[in-house]
Amino acid sequence: MGSLALIGIVALTSVAAYLVATQCFGWRHDTLPAAMGETLECIGLAAIFLAGNLAVGAALVFGSRIFLDRFISVYGLSDIALVLLSLLQAIVLQSWRRSR
Amino acid sequence: MRGLRCLGLIVLLLFAVAAFTPLANLINIRMAGVPHVEPSDAIVVLGRGGADSDGVLTNRSLRRLLRGVGLYHDGFAPLLVLSGSAGEAHARTTLARGFGIPETAILTTARARTTREEAEEIARLLLPLGQRRILLVADPIDMPRSRALMEHSGFVVRPVPTAATGPSNPESRLGLLRDLVTELAGWTYYRLNGAL
Repeated sequence: MGSLALIGIVALTSVAAYLVATQCFGWRHDTLPAAMGETLECIGLAAIFLAGNLAVGAALVFGSRIFLDRFISVYGLSDIALVLLSLLQAIVLQSWRRSR
Repeated sequence: MRGLRCLGLIVLLLFAVAAFTPLANLINIRMAGVPHVEPSDAIVVLGRGGADSDGVLTNRSLRRLLRGVGLYHDGFAPLLVLSGSAGEAHARTTLARGFGIPETAILTTARARTTREEAEEIARLLLPLGQRRILLVADPIDMPRSRALMEHSGFVVRPVPTAATGPSNPESRLGLLRDLVTELAGWTYYRLNGAL
């Protein structure tokens, strides 16, 4: 499946979600920009968490090589799971901030 | 919060460019450089990703091996040097034999844990035999650093990247960009500790 098809699918379901939210649940469309702003904040937070996780991971990898004489490959840090976990951290922090 | 929003927007734009444009492919082509295939003393296939616990090579490791085997069968060098972790080197050797390469033409080294150590190990293996001209098989994205390390160890390197343009789907392009960031970090690390 081509890249454009993926974008098309996501666009289609986004429009459907917008229609369901405004027509069925009565959500106001003028609050959407604020929600998108919060989403950008969440992504920004995730980037900060990812940088922090990578920094801590690198420190542990090189620390174990230097101080414990134990080799751990740095490639373990490039796992895609770290990105998803960082996003999870950001979502939790963002939700926490909003619920205060 | 404004700063966070800006950062989020930058990340989102980077994601879109990385996944849905050929930027990663262009970087891949640039990193690969021009292949230089000519008769040499040995074909060096660097390790990449090891082998799974059941002894199956990772995609990249297998791709490199196949390129090396092809070069051997085309008569570009009489020796095939296989590097990597113990499991990877073993699986590669078994496969190479299966592809009809005689045991006497295969040299393995399985002690190295980093590319730098691989370069040192292979130098210990080949340089005393007077074999300096090597065909270096690696992924395009790894080639500049691998080549520099092998040259630093005393080899005359002819690069043979495994592919040129790279993947064309968003997921693989993102993976390629992740590899690029990893590679830049590795390059910086080697520069800082004097390995390059």
